[in-house]
Amino acid sequence: MFKLWSFSRRNVAQLEYDAYRAGHVGHHASMLRRLKGLRGYCVDLRADTLLQQRLGPLHQDISFGEPVAFPELWDGLSTLYFDSPERAAQAAVPEPTRATADGLSADADWHCDDGPHLFDAAGWGMGMPPHRPVEEHVLLPVVRPERKLTKLLQFFRRHPTQPEATFRSVLLDRYARLTASMSVLQGYVVNFEHRAQTPASLGLPTAASTAAPSSDGWASWDGVCELYVDSLGDFAIARVDLALHPELCVLERHLFEALWYAEVDENVIVMPNRDPAPDFYYR
Amino acid sequence: MLKVFGFVRRHPRLRHDEYRAAHVGYHNSFGRRLRNIRGYVLNVRSNEALEERIGPLASRLTRDEPAAFDALWDGWGQLMFDSLEDYLAARTPTPDRAGPEGLEVDPKVASVGGDGAHLYAGSPFQFHVSEHVLLPVRRPERKLFKLVQFAKRHPSMPMEAFRAYWTGRYAAHVLSWTGLRGLVVNFRTDLDVLTGFFEPDADAFTPEGSALRQGFYESFDGIAEFWFDDPGQFVAARSDPERSEKLDALERELFASVFYREVDETIAVLPNRGPTPAHYRR
Repeated sequence: MFKLWSFSRRNVAQLEYDAYRAGHVGHHASMLRRLKGLRGYCVDLRADTLLQQRLGPLHQDISFGEPVAFPELWDGLSTLYFDSPERAAQAAVPEPTRATADGLSADADWHCDDGPHLFDAAGWGMGMPPHRPVEEHVLLPVVRPERKLTKLLQFFRRHPTQPEATFRSVLLDRYARLTASMSVLQGYVVNFEHRAQTPASLGLPTAASTAAPSSDGWASWDGVCELYVDSLGDFAIARVDLALHPELCVLERHLFEALWYAEVDENVIVMPNRDPAPDFYYR
Repeated sequence: MLKVFGFVRRHPRLRHDEYRAAHVGYHNSFGRRLRNIRGYVLNVRSNEALEERIGPLASRLTRDEPAAFDALWDGWGQLMFDSLEDYLAARTPTPDRAGPEGLEVDPKVASVGGDGAHLYAGSPFQFHVSEHVLLPVRRPERKLFKLVQFAKRHPSMPMEAFRAYWTGRYAAHVLSWTGLRGLVVNFRTDLDVLTGFFEPDADAFTPEGSALRQGFYESFDGIAEFWFDDPGQFVAARSDPERSEKLDALERELFASVFYREVDETIAVLPNRGPTPAHYRR
């Protein structure tokens, strides 16, 4: 599947955090879920969890090099799935999905004019964050129960002594496989940002803005892992398992120049469907 | 949790796939914003006949299916709230749209998009169910095969015993099936979930609307939801000679009629049976 990410920061002048949360998950996501050819859509909102306090000494072991004031750089992460870049490029074409007196019609009111009010205009130009392609590796397919899972984002930056190819190979073949063996995981996905591909190079809509965020914080990671667990406590217990922890720590210091975590509240707007698309309208 | 089913017939102006697009597309985009909603699942009747999916097992398992049952529905929504009070207040819009003055109320949420008159033929057959979650469903990131079993109580069996047997002995057999990802049995209750939710002049409150709804209710006493990865798993499990014989016998004892449908499930709001969050979440 073709996966796009968009980190966004709220319009701090107009919205408190919980107001932004409602605006993003409510109206905004409800509009975007009708994007043509959309195969999955999740909105992860930064949780207020103080991981340093909640994880205690473990946090010092597994987290290092976090950019200063990183949580202030973003409030949410949107993930969109399409079959291909070509399908993503056509996503804004309206589809007839509204029942009217004339039968099925395109919705004339379908637009995201809330973007400039919802998102930080200073950081993102016109108020809409750019969507960037990511290369994902599903180590453990996510399975969601009918209750909230704890979701952790693990940001990582390659250690400069590691050649890119070696880095990826060791990360995916050794580090990620070892991590995936934690029995508490309900899902585990490793993502690398596609540096070579930009929205413009893929033909994606760029009218709003394709400018890179101004803060240095965004340039500070090469990829992000998504970890799903029942609770932070489960993660902590599993992570300190003596059969895993020492080797994971060694690998982390070897592979990464920086590695840090954030907890997010996941909102499943369109359940990702990784099977071929059905031949009817489906979300 | 409070769980409400709303079976709907598409407007005659729409073909089934058009209804599907309109319900899943535009309509769900407003329904998912109902105040304090804790789960919203839409089940659209499959385009394929069940025989095409599970072969001759479909007719073997079917007994006394009501005539023209499918003429009465094209899909059904499942709404979940913490309480009846929350359900009845669901159409009170909550500020969830960013505007120049901060967060604003979108008046279209109150009418769930305002497309009902063009989407449905009459009011939904809306009823409260008492649900029995026998195997909590866990959904992977792909479309599951969702099968629905409609069954009517055998007249010789008291209602309480019927419910106990279905969710007890019968379910115990089903829970042993390989590949089963979820099992929920729902019984319709008499709790009034129409008054205060639909407009007073809605078709639901006319004698004709009421009669049609009651006729629909005559078709079943309970609805079981099954989730599998694929139809083959159900066929294999239900065809197992030894277990099949026991289930057949139980069904003759329990059900006056029993029949099945496949539905395509859309998760408009992933049900959250955990504690109510302190913030807006879907």
